[in-house]
Amino acid sequence: MTRELRGTAAAPGVAIAAPWLYRASALDGPAGRPLAEAARAAADEIGELATRLRDRGREAEAEILDAQALMAIDPALHDSAGERVASGADPAVAIIEAGEAVAASFEAIGDEILAARGADVRDVAARIARIMTGAAAPRLERRSVVVARDLPPSVTVELDRALLAGIALEGGSRTSHAAILSRSLGIPAVVGVAGLCEAVPAVSELAIDGAAGLVYLDPDAETAARLATLAKDGQDRSALDAGLASSALATADGHLVTCAANIGEPAEAEAAFSAGAEAIGLFRTEFAFAGRSSAPDEVTQAAAYAEVLRASAGNEVVFRLADIGGDKPIAYLPLEPEANPFLGVRAIRLAERHPELLPTQLRAILRASAEVGQRASIMAPMVADESDLDLVLRLVADARAAVPDALTPRVGIMMEVPSAVLLADRLAPRVEFMSIGTNDLTQYLLAADRSNAALAARQDPLHPAVLRAIARVVEAGRSVPACEVAVCGEMAGDPIGALLLVGLGVDELSMEPRAFGAVKRAVGARTLPDLVALAAAAQWLSTAAEVRDAVESGP
Amino acid sequence: MADAEVEVSNPSGLHARPAATFVRASAAFAADVTVTNLTRDTLRSASAKSVLGVMGLAVARGHRIRIVAQGTDADEAVARLTELVASGLGEAIDGE
Repeated sequence: MTRELRGTAAAPGVAIAAPWLYRASALDGPAGRPLAEAARAAADEIGELATRLRDRGREAEAEILDAQALMAIDPALHDSAGERVASGADPAVAIIEAGEAVAASFEAIGDEILAARGADVRDVAARIARIMTGAAAPRLERRSVVVARDLPPSVTVELDRALLAGIALEGGSRTSHAAILSRSLGIPAVVGVAGLCEAVPAVSELAIDGAAGLVYLDPDAETAARLATLAKDGQDRSALDAGLASSALATADGHLVTCAANIGEPAEAEAAFSAGAEAIGLFRTEFAFAGRSSAPDEVTQAAAYAEVLRASAGNEVVFRLADIGGDKPIAYLPLEPEANPFLGVRAIRLAERHPELLPTQLRAILRASAEVGQRASIMAPMVADESDLDLVLRLVADARAAVPDALTPRVGIMMEVPSAVLLADRLAPRVEFMSIGTNDLTQYLLAADRSNAALAARQDPLHPAVLRAIARVVEAGRSVPACEVAVCGEMAGDPIGALLLVGLGVDELSMEPRAFGAVKRAVGARTLPDLVALAAAAQWLSTAAEVRDAVESGP
Repeated sequence: MADAEVEVSNPSGLHARPAATFVRASAAFAADVTVTNLTRDTLRSASAKSVLGVMGLAVARGHRIRIVAQGTDADEAVARLTELVASGLGEAIDGE
């Protein structure tokens, strides 16, 4: 007879399978392996799982695992366990108790974030104890719905995805890591189900409806049939989205625009291409410089860049040279405090004070390009005029001379400084592409600081002045046969902004991959002549709000 | 012995990744390094080489910490760690 338990909807989808109960610290026997050795093995395992999460673009959870790898070998944890062993405890029990004590002390401080880290400590201690007793890692034997009080990220990612039908948790909330991770991995999940763990041992089959937040214990034939219909509808919907991913970014009358992705980490490249990207229009390379204690060398950078070129399988990748300074400070590059960092020594302006920064990066890009056998596109940020462009072209030429077998790169500039927009007709003949960074261009053009919340309303790229600036860049690009114009700011990923950009004649829209669907739908619903007329008229309106209204009510 | 005080200005304080960044940097020095959260509890200090110890100090954005080092490379350790904290531990200080 079906019993129904109500929880919180955490990740949509339907699953019907046998329950598999996960218990964090089930000790099968006394410790065999020494603590220090087991702790190192645990740290290694966790490190591998972190890599697996990074490969799936789950940076936030990967960072939890990075911290857990350090916890596993933490002297404080080992000292505490050692004291317990000295007073007669089994070493495996001692490490679990030591983890429990640290977790309890975190929870006692009254800081919510810290209390949540207590669960991470318990998880690490359980892993070390499991290795000490020689027990196998938790493993699914058949398709199952995993049931637990809480499921740590380390366990979620360790379980065989092919057998993991769904997740039902007694604890947790919609924003807990287990919920976020299930959504991103596409595993149906319900959390916060009171009484679940107690009920499950007597149950042979479990069904969950992730969208409704319901768990069915031993579902009858009628319930199972209803859920199967729900599951099929869900598959139809995702097939529709997948169809859209591989469809082109085109107007209703077939005018094609390149659909490109903005990425910030090498691991995001593959996901961007499977979401339907035709190119990487903006690869922010600051990741290579952040979170380090010293500057990354040429070889380290080249390895990361080669990863993205390989994932692109021949499609274009635009490497934006490090845009450091302003709002993106870096630990080992001592930057003078500035009253106006956005107007300060940032990006290519650092070339004088840090003469090795850009040459090293350029050589690394060219080295990766030669290794993979694919041309790279190099984009210089913050170019204001021709002398900035002279500097960039000279640095690129020097790097080419220094890298054996370098392939000729495509060189372009980011259009974000108003002076460059005014000089676009002088710059365009000397580059192969111009990519408009609408976020900074808007802030500079309207003299409205992006980081000042009081000016947020003025930060609207739909402002007629911004549209006129973009029109000017497009015109300059069109007058030169070999110069393409792209947009890589947030405007490209906003359906209304995208409609205007297509109407203005932009060749490529580069955005976060999650915006692909909405932008393709919006552009596909209008014809090119309609959008051209709309974009022309919008430049004669007075405010961003009027532009927005005009696009929304347009044909 | 060397010591210095510094304000933690990155958004997530010494939680999670920034704590791990700090501990990894501390581990590179031979000196014994300890940290105290001056804003929360001046009597409690932790080893800068223990991620659990550092996290247990519950250092949030805006808190002041004291870093004390003892040993051959103490001066270098304090200078390096102070600079690392002041520059945001790899996080953008204004939170982007």
